[in-house]
Amino acid sequence: MTKSLYGAKEASGIWIYLEQSQGQLEGVSLELVGKARELADGRGIPIVGVLLGDQVGDLAQEAIAAGADEVRVADDPLLRQYTTDGYARVVTEIILEGKPDILLLGATPDGRDLAGRIAVRLRTGLTADCTDLKLEEKSGLLIGEVWGFGGGVIAYIKCPDNRPQMATVRAGVFAVPKPDAARKGKVVNVPVKLSEKDIKVQVLEHVVGGGVDITRAEVLVAAGRGCQGDFTLVNELASLLDGEVGWSRVPVDEGWVSRDGMIGQTGYTTRPKLAIVCGISGAFQFTVGVEKAETIVAINIDAEAPIFEAADYCIVDDMFNVLPPLIEAVKKARGGNGGR
Amino acid sequence: MSQSVDTILLQDETWERVDKATGGAAAPCFQCGVCTAICPLGLVKGETISIRKMVRQAQLGLPGWADGLWECTTCLWCESRCPHEVDITRAILGLRQLAWKEREVPEGLPTLLWDVYFDGNTWGRPPSERPLWTKDVTVKEFSSDDEILLYVGDDAAYDRRIQKVGRALVSVLEAAGVTFGTLGEHEPSCGDAVRSVGHGEYAAEIIDANARLFQEAGVKTAVTVSPHSYDMFANRYPNLSGDFRPLHYSQYLLELIEGERLKFENELPLKVTYHDPCYLSRRNGICDEPRQVLQSIPGLELVEMERSREDTLCCGGGGGRMWMETAAGERFSDLRVPEAAETGAEVVVTCCPYCLSCLEDSLNVIGKGKLRVMELAEVAHLALQSGAVASDAASGRS
Amino acid sequence: MRPLQIIACVKVVPKPEEVKVDTKTMTIERGEVRSEINPPDMNVLEMALTLKEQHGGKVTVIAMGPPLFEPYMRLALAMGADEAYLLSDRAFAAADTLATSYALAQGIRKIGDYDLILCGEESSDGATAQVPPGIAEWLETSQITYAEDLEVLSDSKMVKAKRELAGGYEVIQVPLPCTVSVKIGANEPRFMDMERKVWAEADGPVTVWAASDIDVEAEMIGLPGSPTIVDGLAQAESTERKREFLEGTPEEQAKVLVERLRPYL
Ligand SMILES: Cc1cc2nc3c(=O)[nH]c(=O)nc-3n(C[C@H](O)[C@H](O)[C@H](O)COP(=O)(O)OP(=O)(O)OC[C@H]3O[C@@H](n4cnc5c(N)ncnc54)[C@H](O)[C@@H]3O)c2cc1C
Ligand code: SF4
Ligand code: SF4
Repeated sequence: MTKSLYGAKEASGIWIYLEQSQGQLEGVSLELVGKARELADGRGIPIVGVLLGDQVGDLAQEAIAAGADEVRVADDPLLRQYTTDGYARVVTEIILEGKPDILLLGATPDGRDLAGRIAVRLRTGLTADCTDLKLEEKSGLLIGEVWGFGGGVIAYIKCPDNRPQMATVRAGVFAVPKPDAARKGKVVNVPVKLSEKDIKVQVLEHVVGGGVDITRAEVLVAAGRGCQGDFTLVNELASLLDGEVGWSRVPVDEGWVSRDGMIGQTGYTTRPKLAIVCGISGAFQFTVGVEKAETIVAINIDAEAPIFEAADYCIVDDMFNVLPPLIEAVKKARGGNGGR
Repeated sequence: MSQSVDTILLQDETWERVDKATGGAAAPCFQCGVCTAICPLGLVKGETISIRKMVRQAQLGLPGWADGLWECTTCLWCESRCPHEVDITRAILGLRQLAWKEREVPEGLPTLLWDVYFDGNTWGRPPSERPLWTKDVTVKEFSSDDEILLYVGDDAAYDRRIQKVGRALVSVLEAAGVTFGTLGEHEPSCGDAVRSVGHGEYAAEIIDANARLFQEAGVKTAVTVSPHSYDMFANRYPNLSGDFRPLHYSQYLLELIEGERLKFENELPLKVTYHDPCYLSRRNGICDEPRQVLQSIPGLELVEMERSREDTLCCGGGGGRMWMETAAGERFSDLRVPEAAETGAEVVVTCCPYCLSCLEDSLNVIGKGKLRVMELAEVAHLALQSGAVASDAASGRS
Repeated sequence: MRPLQIIACVKVVPKPEEVKVDTKTMTIERGEVRSEINPPDMNVLEMALTLKEQHGGKVTVIAMGPPLFEPYMRLALAMGADEAYLLSDRAFAAADTLATSYALAQGIRKIGDYDLILCGEESSDGATAQVPPGIAEWLETSQITYAEDLEVLSDSKMVKAKRELAGGYEVIQVPLPCTVSVKIGANEPRFMDMERKVWAEADGPVTVWAASDIDVEAEMIGLPGSPTIVDGLAQAESTERKREFLEGTPEEQAKVLVERLRPYL
């Protein structure tokens, strides 16, 4: 068996990689702190955050307010942006120093990029893209719930011997904890032993918000004839959800929009996690373009519209009545925390 | 763009490939230009396909030679008028095959072929969903002592609108007491889509496999929902045995009527016009059968559009155009719907899934008062239902 | 310009809709199910072949899996790949990402020459997305995950790509050799060439390597080499659409919907 660099006997604590981008913590990192707190309570397990960046010390308190007991901060200009080589090196050092029992990361693109790399470096097991976490009653082992085979099968995975027990977790499966500003914790600054030549990755461009085309969007809000050419609310909902906007063929025919975002048989095939389809009747020529979505919501004024046959959640109403409260509800649910 | 003489001279190899790809189909052309003049693309685009120009460009290996190639709906109008009987669509499909080799194909078409390859249908849906079109009706698996195999086809199997046509046809067949079955999950794609986007080589493989499948299943008479499947089985499956009899369902319904197994006894007061699918009329000369089925329905009045029978206007969905976007205003069906409306008919009847999709779509866009689009099978089903004596089997389905 | 040596890692996966859990034995029934090349791996092949067209060189396919993978290796050859290696041995079975990435890395080492190792962003069955960074670590290459628009700057031995971020993207440049995970849908995979298919099926160079053919340590592959274990399996609710109609005023509907959509918010 491949041995990890340290064993279960030496290991303790649940550690969370606190992902930040441009001075903001990812929502999923706080969700993980909250969940870890819940798992740890009653077992006396310490919760430790690992935070890398350039002048990000302030964020440590946010993690403490969310439930962390301690945050180890590696602050260095060379860590201003995420790079696989730089971050993997520093995180590995911190892990080997602290020897956590469990290490959790958000299943974001950067989180997965890092997790896959350091799991091999540490020679340990990694449960990827978990949708739930628990600790086994007797052993205290971490059990990750994952969905495989396009969501058809649920598997429960654990890592009995190697340490840390690593997992990446999907954003949004746990709630962001209510911050407790009075909570006290320890902030430890770790020395960063990194020189410029350790970082081979050059970041040439870095854009957050937009730039994803609809075939790759994770969240898609689509509108058809029912929107009457008014995409304002649709755009607003999409940007709230970090998603993209698409449409059926009618808006193209009507000249409201271009063909870029047209979904369907002669448009684009999309495979979002979530598609919200508004004012589209659901002709098969359209539906084939969204059918690979994990979850489909349909909003249509006509209860007989075929789109409802292809939807998970159906709302029979005028989209202009439904979208404003929906936008409000989403805002509320996502809370005050910044983007993801 | 300017091409140097050198590059043009260097294209000998290309020329050979073009000639080979088109099977010499363009050779008898004497450049009279009739085809270019008559192509209905001229009605919507101002510019028509010029097969002469295309072959020439391909010969020269000029960039963009494959552009116009994909507009053709294989409606066959040009061919029907060509004084020298040039096999124009063969030339076009041959050039498309060449375009596949050169990887000059429109976006989306490779995906279409992969869908057929991995899923066995043009919609990229699981074969296990194929039999679901019947909804709450049970249609059994075909056995060799059935009178006919019902070949459903990808559209009637998966497209929710066309599924209704399939179900209507089932109730008509049941009302006539026909014993039939389908190949269920194992029904293959007929190969029309693959052939018409020009991948003759892959189509040949499909045709081979399907012919074997039909043979093994003991199929004698195969009745298809789509004229495109019919055309494939009737004209492009060289290996089917002599006693294999493909029929489009309009032909079969007429047989049932003539054999007095299918009777329309009740009045269906409906004024209809009939849109001939090119793949039935121009390609296979089937113009009378669907009309006769309609005329056997008491009370139904059939009026004709100006362009009808062998002169029908293509819906725009053939030749793989169902998988390529046609901009609004360039759709043949946008012209066809007003033509149908002008006749004063309440319903434009057709019997091809592509025609139905395109006409209905155009109707939605332009909106023509009370005009509706129906399939022949749906009209037949309606006629059976319209009286009190509608048989049990036919009731409550559409 | 130097020709590129490209390794394309390909996996064959069961069609998701076909997969069932045998709740008695707690195993996944994979018997008769239809399979396909993992969809992002089709994007890998397309990217590899395009890069080969641009730079010259060679596309070598590698996969780890049972013998049923072999026809799919030939499919990759029919699309244009030059040769294929299949790591197939009972000893490789039941590997998790650590053991999988190790075995693939050792297979790639044996192939020898590589500038780019292309993998799919994740497999539709396991969906871990952790194999590509794992390979990169074992082979100590640079890595770009969730990449598209790959551009090889062969003179400076660098590769540049657009890479997905949470709600955005970045463009990064790293030195070769590099392991890349290709974003699903990054391109449209070309259809195979039928003449090549005939060749691939009859004479296509597909080499099957057993564990003993490559330099691997027995305890680091397959089940023994996998630190994670499956503790239980369950069949998720059917993939059919739920078709739940939400009731009430728009405000009430919005509230219920947001609860239902929690994981996506
Ligand atoms: C060859 C071919 C290819 C095609 N390819 C494509 C394709 O790739 N993509 C595509 O989308 N279509 C395609 N189509 C067209 C397709 O058949 C449909 O016509 C089209 O998808 C309909 O668009 P729609 O649903 O927006 O409009 P409609 O069908 O007109 O539906 C509008 C819907 O909005 C609802 N509505 C109206 N007002 C409101 C409101 N205030 N609130 C809520 N709901 C409201 C109505 O009840 C109705 O259901 C193709 C057609 C053909 C023939
Ligand atoms: S109608 Fe026939 S002979 Fe005349 S230009 Fe066209 S293909 Fe040539
Ligand atoms: S087959 Fe029809 S669309 Fe094609 S070139 Fe001839 S007339 Fe034009």
